Amino acid sequence: MILVIAEQREGKLNRATWESVAAAQQLAGTAQQLAGGMPITIAVLGAGTGDVAQELASAAVSEVLVAEHPALDPYTPDAYAAACRALIESTSPTFVLLPHTYQTRDFAPLLAARLRKPLITDVTGIVGTGADATFTRPMFQGKLAAQVKPQGGPPALVTMQIGALRADAALKGGSAAVRKVDVQIDSSSIRQKPEAPFREAKQAVDLAQAERIVAVGRGIKSQDNISLAEKLAKAMDAEVAASRPICDNGWLPMERQIGSSGQTVAPKLYVALGISGAIQHLVGMKGARTIVAINKDAEAPIFEVADYGIVGDLFEIAPALIAELEKK
Amino acid sequence: MVRETLEVDVLIVGGGPAGLSAALRLSQLQEQQGGEPLSIAVLEKAREAGAHILSGAILDPSALRDLIPDFREKGAPLVADVHDEDVYVLTQSGKLPLPIIPPPLKNHGNSIISLNLFVRWLTTQVEAAGIDFFTGFSGQDILMDGARVVGVRTGDRGIGKHGEQKATFEPGVDILAKVTIFCDGVRGNLTKELMRRLPLGRHAEPPQFALGLKELWEIPSNRLESGTVIHTLGYPLRHEEFGGGFIYAMPDGQVSLGFVVGLDYKDPLFDPHMAFNRFKQHPFVSKLLEGGHMIRYGAKALPEGGWNTIPQVFMDGGLIAGDAGGYMNSMRLKGIHLAMRTGMLAAETAFEAVRKGDTSLATMKTYQDRIDNSSVKAELYPVRNVHQAFGYGLLPGLAFAGLSVVTKGWLPEDLHGHPGHERMKTLAWYYGSTQFAPTAASNATTIDRRLTFDKVTNVHYSGTSHDEDQPPHLLVHTDVCSSICGPEYGHPCVRFCPANVYEIIQDPDGTPRLQINASNCVHCKTCDIMDPYQVITWVPPEGGGGPQYNGM
Repeated sequence: MILVIAEQREGKLNRATWESVAAAQQLAGTAQQLAGGMPITIAVLGAGTGDVAQELASAAVSEVLVAEHPALDPYTPDAYAAACRALIESTSPTFVLLPHTYQTRDFAPLLAARLRKPLITDVTGIVGTGADATFTRPMFQGKLAAQVKPQGGPPALVTMQIGALRADAALKGGSAAVRKVDVQIDSSSIRQKPEAPFREAKQAVDLAQAERIVAVGRGIKSQDNISLAEKLAKAMDAEVAASRPICDNGWLPMERQIGSSGQTVAPKLYVALGISGAIQHLVGMKGARTIVAINKDAEAPIFEVADYGIVGDLFEIAPALIAELEKK
Repeated sequence: MVRETLEVDVLIVGGGPAGLSAALRLSQLQEQQGGEPLSIAVLEKAREAGAHILSGAILDPSALRDLIPDFREKGAPLVADVHDEDVYVLTQSGKLPLPIIPPPLKNHGNSIISLNLFVRWLTTQVEAAGIDFFTGFSGQDILMDGARVVGVRTGDRGIGKHGEQKATFEPGVDILAKVTIFCDGVRGNLTKELMRRLPLGRHAEPPQFALGLKELWEIPSNRLESGTVIHTLGYPLRHEEFGGGFIYAMPDGQVSLGFVVGLDYKDPLFDPHMAFNRFKQHPFVSKLLEGGHMIRYGAKALPEGGWNTIPQVFMDGGLIAGDAGGYMNSMRLKGIHLAMRTGMLAAETAFEAVRKGDTSLATMKTYQDRIDNSSVKAELYPVRNVHQAFGYGLLPGLAFAGLSVVTKGWLPEDLHGHPGHERMKTLAWYYGSTQFAPTAASNATTIDRRLTFDKVTNVHYSGTSHDEDQPPHLLVHTDVCSSICGPEYGHPCVRFCPANVYEIIQDPDGTPRLQINASNCVHCKTCDIMDPYQVITWVPPEGGGGPQYNGM
């Protein structure tokens, strides 16, 4: 059995969970044999998880477990590790899959250590199915890919890199049963006292969640022109991101930087405005499904990864795109 | 703020061939002579052993044989024995083989190695001897009591971009030692500081440096037989520039390919990285590389000056060994064995001094006597003028080098050199015009990102990473960048840095402003050496940051 630990906050599902569901289905062999492979169970943890379990029950999985406990909201690593440990011990899975989010990075090592089980992090691909599967994970900043086979399981804990699989690759069509389970959490064992979550003045942005991104590079020339990208983003219902020089200059905050020293994203649509496409930027966005590049320099490396390339002046093309989008 | 202190008998700063040989030699002396065990610590700024180490490299195994006689049984990673060698003078599209291999370039009996793998192996020997090897700790400051070196302060960790203490702040540790052996490599930040404070270089010729650029390639495995060594002179350098290329073939189609450029060039618009690109574009080289791909990149300065440029390497409580002291034979293109040898001699001096309970200047001076009586002087003294002779150009240099082989280096009066940065000419001097706004390197060439690369792409293949939230570790002390450097030299830092650390951004009012991309820095030290105003100081970033030279 494969256990997927879903991530939700205040009743809203983290989209990356679907990527882990897709990974579980691949690992189980579901795609080939339709429900003939290893059974998959999704676990939702929290207090007041709302419709999250119902939403996940549409996936082609066997069961969705809901473990609610007041100690699980707000999130603390001790409570999550305790709850996950109880779930794992009562369900005896072969694999436990988690999305490689900040929250997972926080508690998964503790959980693995408590269980004395292997933890394979930041996995980008799965080779084979079932208990014999091997997992691919990047080493040396993604320059090498290691094939890892867990020893000392079951279960083996596996965290999936965001964007490694596509959320919409998760097979739907199941009508999995939703079952409530009790977890006991000794509140005296929780050592952390979380404060209110920190948010950058009302525009906290998790680019990994964005379906569409408009990214700007040095070709935007001045801070005043950032508004052009913002207008285009608004017209497309997209988030604004940037390559390194823009954030270095302080024209956009660091949290919007894409690339090896920023975030890694895999949106459905990535529009690169005046980005030359240094390899440090490409490693952060090459997983995007459709890449549109607009650049004056036809030799720019961004065109090597772009699905649609426009060689031209972004100050002519972007306004034309905005005008066209606003007609609709 | 209370700093932790750690007291040891011998502290070794730098985990390269010199430092590791010193550590191993100390433990051997300990074992042979018994007595109260010495406490020894080795500091290394890289996150893991060998990560910041870069060389060609061909190893003369003489020092290794003395240090670890059974090195082959112990699995020393000597990748291939040299069996075939050529030296070519390149013209723009052709090549002329030298009819005889000059004796200093004969490599029979030597081995091609990856210095990174070699140092990692040496580290396992050191750790097996029970020596504390602290990776991820840089030596930030020298602790002194008057003219006596009493130890080293390691770098603080967890300082934010603007100098503020982050939640992860940990002050550096004061490591107090009876003897400190400085093996901090070419233009080491601590050795540089020692030379300033004590002035150790007052009787030496000005040090001379070169910049070595290297890539590791994988090419079809039947193209170049493993153990083949090729050196080139000439193109793409001009008569006035010192340097040349190297190609070392290893098993399975792996090739070490590099280019060395003297950091004493005159043309302010010259770019060493572009020279490397042009070297690869030469038909002879591009044909070798065709169908292959570059898998790693790195750059490092080399001490080229030779015997007369070596500073005083002993002081009250301290010694200097390896590249930090300038122990390299630029004629043989080799220094690893000299680093190991000086490390071993430093260890012998330190061991005796600690046992005697006297680590004063007089005792430390016996290190110099040991060097003078060793193969180090026997090898370096006869060629002491050769690099300086290349200051007169390629052909006089070659002629002099040949002559010194015959005369065993005899000369009525030694030649003098000039610091390389002083040889760089202004734009007005070199190009005869002051109305000149350079936009590209004088030796710029096409970048196709298959054979030739821009610096940013190359840096990616060096595996370099630093914590972004820390103060820049490249200190630029004045604002010449916005004022006189543009008109005088056209911002040469943009070109001599092989990692795109320095960028000139035009502010909206047209004023040039220097942007330091410190996280690109591959720790080669070129900027500290070559900046014509000498206003750049390289200091170690937070421990652990830097390149990742696996297999280099």
